This record gives sequence, C-alpha cells and structure tokens, in this order.
Amino acid sequence: MTQYYIMCRSLTAAQRSARLLERSGITAVVVKAPQGLSSSGCGYAVLLRRRFDEAVALLKRNELLRGKLFSRSDEGEFTEVRP
Amino acid sequence: MIYLDNAATTLIKPASVQRAVLEALGSMASPGRGGHPPAMKAAETVFNCRLAAAELFRVPEPEQVVFTLNATHALNIAIHSLAKKGTRVLISGFEHNSVTRPLNALGADVTVFGQELFDREAVLEDFKKKLPGAQLAVCTHVSNVFGFVLPVYEIAALCRQRGVPLIVDASQSAGVLELDMRRLGAAFIAMPGHKALFGPQGTGILLCGQKGLPLLQGGSGSESILQQMPDYLPDRLEAGTHNVCGIAGLLAGLEYVREKGTEEILRHERRLLAQAREELKDSGLELFTGPEGSQCGVLSLRSPRLDCETAAALLAEQGICVRAGLHCAPIAHRSAETLKTGTIRLSFSPFVAERQLSAACAALRKLA
Repeated sequence: MTQYYIMCRSLTAAQRSARLLERSGITAVVVKAPQGLSSSGCGYAVLLRRRFDEAVALLKRNELLRGKLFSRSDEGEFTEVRP
Repeated sequence: MIYLDNAATTLIKPASVQRAVLEALGSMASPGRGGHPPAMKAAETVFNCRLAAAELFRVPEPEQVVFTLNATHALNIAIHSLAKKGTRVLISGFEHNSVTRPLNALGADVTVFGQELFDREAVLEDFKKKLPGAQLAVCTHVSNVFGFVLPVYEIAALCRQRGVPLIVDASQSAGVLELDMRRLGAAFIAMPGHKALFGPQGTGILLCGQKGLPLLQGGSGSESILQQMPDYLPDRLEAGTHNVCGIAGLLAGLEYVREKGTEEILRHERRLLAQAREELKDSGLELFTGPEGSQCGVLSLRSPRLDCETAAALLAEQGICVRAGLHCAPIAHRSAETLKTGTIRLSFSPFVAERQLSAACAALRKLA
C-alpha cells in the first residue's frame, strides 16, 4: 500500500499536524523523515496510509502545511507529490 | 515541618508530579532525536506539556511555549533578545536580580519606575510618565518579596499603544493569577516550573510572542546540516537535550493547576494571607501588607528585636521554613526602604493548611 509523508519543519509541527488529523479521524503517525527527503538534515514527517488528499486539505486550512509531500511505493521508491 | 517558602520553590507537590518524574526516568529518552518508542514517548510528553501550558496561559500556538531551566534562564533569553548596550529599558521597582543583572551586564540604560509599594495607581502613573522614549519594558507580575501585584495588564496596554516590547516576569503569578498571553500581547513571558506550577526544580517556561535570539547553540534535532540554529520556535531556543523527567513532572503540575483552577488557588492563598495578617496584627512585628487585591501569595515582615536571618534560623529550629534576607531583589527592598534589614518572608501554596499557618504565627509572635 502506498504511504504518504508530509514533511514538517520541526518535531513540534509534526506533532501538531498529527494531532489535528487524529482529531478528524485520520490515522497519522509522527516519524523521523527518511534520509534524503529533507534537504537540511534530520527532520520529522507525518506518515499516512490513507485519506491523503483530505489530510492535505485539512492541514492547509489550518496553515500547517509547510513542507514537501512524498509518496512511497511498495517498492520503497519516493516521489514528490504536488498538492 | 511547616513549609512557608513556596515563593522560592514549592516543596510539597501533588503526588502525581513525583509519579510522572519516576515514570519518565524509567521509560523516556530524548525528544527530537531518535524515532524509537522511548524517544517518541518523551516527545509525546514534551508536546503534551507545551499544549497544557499553551491552554493555561492562552498562548496561540504550542510552538510558542519554550522550555528552559528556570525563570532566570527564560528571562535571560528574553532580555538578550531585546536589549543591548544603550537600550533604554524601563523596569519596575520590584524586579528580581534575574532581570537587573542581565541588563547590567549588557550595559542597558535602565530607568526604574513605580517604587510605591502596594500603590498600583502610583506605579501606573509613573510608568506612563517614563514610557516615552523607552525601547523595552520589563515588569514583574507579582513582587517576590512583598507579593505586590503590579498592574501588568494596564502596563501591557500602554506598551502596545507605544509599540514598546514588554517582558513579563511571571515567576510568582504563574499558576496563581490569570495570565493571558493573548490579552497581554507581551513579547515574552517568563516563569519557573518549580514554584506554583509544581514541576521539579530545573524546569522553566518562556512564552514567546516573537522568535527571540538563542542564548545557547547546539543540537535541536532539526535541520542538522545547517550551522545556525533553526529560525522557528521552539527549536530555535531549545538547544540540547530536554529535561524530560522535569517536563513530565511539570505536565503533572500543570494538570493539577488546571483541575484545581487558579481562582481557587488564589482564593486559598488570599485566605492564608488574611489569616496571617489577623493573627499577627498585634504581635509587634512589622507587617508589609497592601489593600485588597494588591497582594497575593507572600507576606514580608520584620522583627523589632531580631535580624531577619536570626529570626528565620530560630523558626527553622522549630521546623518552620521561611526565607529571610534580600530574596535576590535588592531593588524591591530599596523601593520599600528595607534594604538595610531585609525581611522575613512567608509564602503560601494550596498545600499550606490553616492550622499550620496558625502554628507558624504562634512561633512568629515570640520573635517580636
């Protein structure tokens, strides 16, 4: 199943985003961002398995969408997703 | 033991605080570092503490809650962010050394306003008079020596009108008086975790109305490739490993305050203050008290025959813990004309019972 990574600029921002999504019934997990997705070293992301578009819209409405978005295929390949 | 030194550190904490510290010590690693369960459990606790503080102090976003070692650390970040050599700074006549020493070290041009103990109107009038030309104002919410509640909301409104940034020292008010970041519109509000928020020593909070300048540089767990601190909060001001055990305890303390309510805590402390005034009124001790609403949590007094340290030592022998001396606030003593003698200070908390205070007052009467 495709996984989605919403990159966040800080751990706190990732936690805020995940809480917001969880409150709306969207399962979201804070994870360390896979190396290579962040241009400036260590970072955090919110990992989703479903309802990606809905999540992106919700974060955008709440001004929490500040990082890049990626999908990860079953083969482990990352592709940037444009909202 | 009767513990009446809560303005320094609350010794008696809710049982949940101790449990939370122990739980963290055995199960939590470092937030913002690893992605493994003990690190994420720590991260969850730290985030929950940010949320709890943001809710209690009406801070718009949890990122604006920065953890520090204590209020002094928080005040140093705030002051170093806004003052430099020659900056014209207005400070109240009741500030602690944690405000005056950093300003002195920076070479700021400091003017003192409002030295009239327990006269809120006179303090405000003096502030209005001295505000033009000021580039920064620093005001304590409550004097740590006298419990004098300064008109900080009115001062904040005047600062906003003039565009002067304000730093509020909430060391004695956080957890007792209403403290509303939105209403104050302050640049920074600094507070300890270990007083009326019931966290362990080594915890403090800086509420940030602006980004601020880092006092320390180091690992933040974010943007590691860069050689500057991140330009966003809270990472910008939180270099190095967090005091996770302390923050876990602070979270439990914040939950206690939320459940009990600051109104109830204030009511209890004011009841104790009134009781002490009543029981000591004809004692021959000199009490420093103000009109209704102008004082909370703290009562300073002097003995006509004993110096304050001797008096405090005699009380300590009887198991009564108070603080004596200048309380790291010489400027407050200068304002109240008690600089030469210092004072004996009783300070309260929800864990001080009326019968304990009565026993302390009985011992105090013998010092007159």
